Amino acid sequence: MPTQTTHSPGPLATSTCPALSGRGLVKRYGAQYALAGVDIDIQPGEAVAIVGPSGSGKTSLLHVLAGILPADSGEVLLGGTRIDHLGEAKRSELRRTEFGFVFQSGMLVAELSAEENAALPLLLAGVSRGKALADARQWLERLGLAGKGARRPGELSGGEAQRVAIARALAHQPSVIFADEPTGALDTRTGRDTMNALLGAAAENGAAVVIVTHDRDLAESVPRMVTIRDGRIASGVTAS
Amino acid sequence: MNSFRLALRVLRVDRRTRTSAILTGLGVAVATGLVLLLVSLPFATEARGERSTWQEPSYGSGEGGRATLSLASSEDYANGQKITRVDVAPLTDPGSISLPPGVEKLPGPGEVLLSPELARLADGLPGSQLGERFGGDVVGTLGEDALKFPGQLVALVGHDANDMPVTAFEQNGFLLGGAEQDPLLQLLAGVGVVVLIVPSLVLVASSARLIAARRERRLAALRLAGATPQQVISMVAAETAIAAVGGALLGAAASPLLHMLATFVPWDGGTWQASDFQLPLGVAIPIVLLMPALVLLAAVLGLRRVMWTPLGATGSHQRKPLHWWRLLSLPLAGLFFAVVVSTAEDQLGMLLVLLGLALIIASAALVGPWVTSAIGGIFGRIWRRPSVLLAGRRLRDDPKGAYRASAGVVLAVFTGSMALTLMPSFESMAGSSSPFQDSVLYVPTDAARAERIVAETNATLERYGQRERAIGIGEVVLAKGENSGQQALVLDCERAEGLLRLDLRGACAGTPGIYSEYPMELNGVTVSAEWGTQGAPLPANTPVRPFEVTGEDMYSTAIIDPAVVPEGVSVSEVTVAVPTTPANREVVRTALAAAAGGAQIESREMRIGDQQTQLSDLRRVTVIGLVAAAVLSGCSAAIATAGSVMDRRRTFGALIAAGTPVRVLARALRTEAAMPALVATIGAGVVGVLVAIGLYSLVEEDASVVLTPWIAAPVVLGAGVAVLAASVCRPALNRVRAEPLADE
Repeated sequence: MPTQTTHSPGPLATSTCPALSGRGLVKRYGAQYALAGVDIDIQPGEAVAIVGPSGSGKTSLLHVLAGILPADSGEVLLGGTRIDHLGEAKRSELRRTEFGFVFQSGMLVAELSAEENAALPLLLAGVSRGKALADARQWLERLGLAGKGARRPGELSGGEAQRVAIARALAHQPSVIFADEPTGALDTRTGRDTMNALLGAAAENGAAVVIVTHDRDLAESVPRMVTIRDGRIASGVTAS
Repeated sequence: MNSFRLALRVLRVDRRTRTSAILTGLGVAVATGLVLLLVSLPFATEARGERSTWQEPSYGSGEGGRATLSLASSEDYANGQKITRVDVAPLTDPGSISLPPGVEKLPGPGEVLLSPELARLADGLPGSQLGERFGGDVVGTLGEDALKFPGQLVALVGHDANDMPVTAFEQNGFLLGGAEQDPLLQLLAGVGVVVLIVPSLVLVASSARLIAARRERRLAALRLAGATPQQVISMVAAETAIAAVGGALLGAAASPLLHMLATFVPWDGGTWQASDFQLPLGVAIPIVLLMPALVLLAAVLGLRRVMWTPLGATGSHQRKPLHWWRLLSLPLAGLFFAVVVSTAEDQLGMLLVLLGLALIIASAALVGPWVTSAIGGIFGRIWRRPSVLLAGRRLRDDPKGAYRASAGVVLAVFTGSMALTLMPSFESMAGSSSPFQDSVLYVPTDAARAERIVAETNATLERYGQRERAIGIGEVVLAKGENSGQQALVLDCERAEGLLRLDLRGACAGTPGIYSEYPMELNGVTVSAEWGTQGAPLPANTPVRPFEVTGEDMYSTAIIDPAVVPEGVSVSEVTVAVPTTPANREVVRTALAAAAGGAQIESREMRIGDQQTQLSDLRRVTVIGLVAAAVLSGCSAAIATAGSVMDRRRTFGALIAAGTPVRVLARALRTEAAMPALVATIGAGVVGVLVAIGLYSLVEEDASVVLTPWIAAPVVLGAGVAVLAASVCRPALNRVRAEPLADE
């Protein structure tokens, strides 16, 4: 099991608060509303799938919750503490320490090996080279990539590359993982395997997961599904 | 839709393609403008020469009884400015002599035509300092068509045929036309084309790189959709042609502006007329056509991968590691250069030297990427920070691309180091073998004229209230047998001490004799006026006294006191010399020039001044060339850095979205861009110095080059340009940060 990385305790100290909350989130692109007043709470360790048609605002919601894009109005709270008014440097630090990200096509650094890609967040957090690589190796082993740490992204299959991305997202023990169409570029079976790997690893780590997907079948495998349409929450379903 | 319309549509809808096309066009424009300017330089010297050939003697044209004009050309100085003095006397009806353009009349005896600038200068100075040198009335002004460059100081002085100086030539009218190009400027223009064209083309390549990945994907999609290789080629050709042809036309249109700027750069004593830089259309048109053709060819060759396998371009691909044999190319080229430099004797040898130089430059394109890859490998092993890891891996993965950005800087540093090694060495060669002290003015003439020149000069000096006096110094030969002997100046010891660069160490105290730098055996020595004539023996017991020369560059000469010159030896060659002080130099020169009537007045100071002017010209041209090369290289390196960010926009965007600080990525990109450039510039500097040492040995076999701290300047400048260009990554990354996960 990878050792806990040293980062600031963050605002997750109180377990009664949601891990992440959005309150009255509004995001406009010109006259177009991407988010038109969204309220959402995500509990610690909870996995939420956000679904909706193209242009419904699901990716915008993920970006605003993760602090990648600023909201035009509304609040984002991490462990009960507002983070939406923080400057770019602070938000970057939060994304680096509290959040993990999995993108559609992995977005791995082509020049780095799988092991180095997974170690990157730890290295950026100032962890020593030896420890960062050792931790990354362990994460890769947990995700079924033992012996493939020296391979470059171009030498991995799509599913393997996504698992490296998951390892990278989990390596620094974040409290929330954001996944934007994490299986969009994979076939159904590989997609399901990858999703299981992501949810399993996150659950073991106690991290909440926010998954944006247009794949309803995939979303149904996630305990909670939120549908967004025209920038508003249309429905929220929690699986029994 | 044909290829051209498709290219126009892409340019219209894709901002980055448009930016790339604009930069490509600018690169081609700069390259075209520079080539048009550089190629025009030798033609410009020819145009100057065409206007001023009349100022030179026409050797041999008066042979066979065809002489119509006696002409002597000399150089004079006033306030440190060179005056070209042309003394003429008609040998036939003056009306039958064709006049050069800009010369309204042939001055008669006692008449002078001055160029406007010289007339202004003469008006502003007392006659004793300039105006009275020409010994006549100013009856007109020379037009611009008669001047080598605007502001040239020229005096056309009329004489009677009997008053012409000993250096006059009898010729058939004025020499009109037939000027040749300046070989030095030809050489410099050739070097300039290489030094400035490479960074210009790298600029074009860097601009193309901005859209390389996107274009490859688009073309691969077209290939997958069934487009033939020819269709793909024509699409790229159309896209590139729009930028390249536009750029070439822009460069051609802007070249008059460059020419106008070039008119302000002095060369060989003066500036230029704007019309001097006009290129013959037969040269200009092929250049304007060639530049876009080269860019098109490069663009089409760059499509090999898409043409062979469209899938290869869409998918990821492993780059082959670079072979170690690349490293051998530099020592092999260096060895070839060293061999040809040490054996070069004739024109073929010089061609081989140039070939060796070209091979060394070319080897940089092989060694540079290998060194870049090696640096990447080292970084990849020793990294402790993610920025070093990212930079190292990138350098290792694409060393050719990484090196390309600094190729222009490397060439500029190589040439700069070479120039800055050669120039101080050439400066150390500057000097004059004249035995006269720097402040002495002297006129070589014959015995008949010397007496008159001395008398007239001294009379004028008396009138001007000067204490200095001219004397005639004869030249004799101290011969021993038929084939051995030495030239000697006929001069008494005290005067020799005041006029020549000698330390007589108290030798003047004894009886008159012969004074020599080396021990002389006078037994059997005779004194004659010229080589090969019957000499007279020296008086018995003539002493030989040693002296030391105080100038290393002075030719060996002996002095013979007039008291020991045997009777019956009448000298034929005489030098009239006058000492001067800084305060009265122009006045003494005026007195001597008026008396000498067009004979060349020499001084060691003037000769060294001429050499310094040439070196200043070289230095100025070198600095201008290097600054231009540095700016171009910096621009191409900056664009390459921006292209490097564009290439990996999605990856960087994802890293930034995941919280990677921009400063970490900026540091990685700066390391990636600056490190190879730094190593390559140091290497280029060292090789430049070594090549300069080799080239200098062609000129001076035994002398060692003069190394000054300035040789480090190109390396510092090159590294600075590279680092500055690399800093462009920061704004590029900030653009990515604004919308990290947006599509490209």
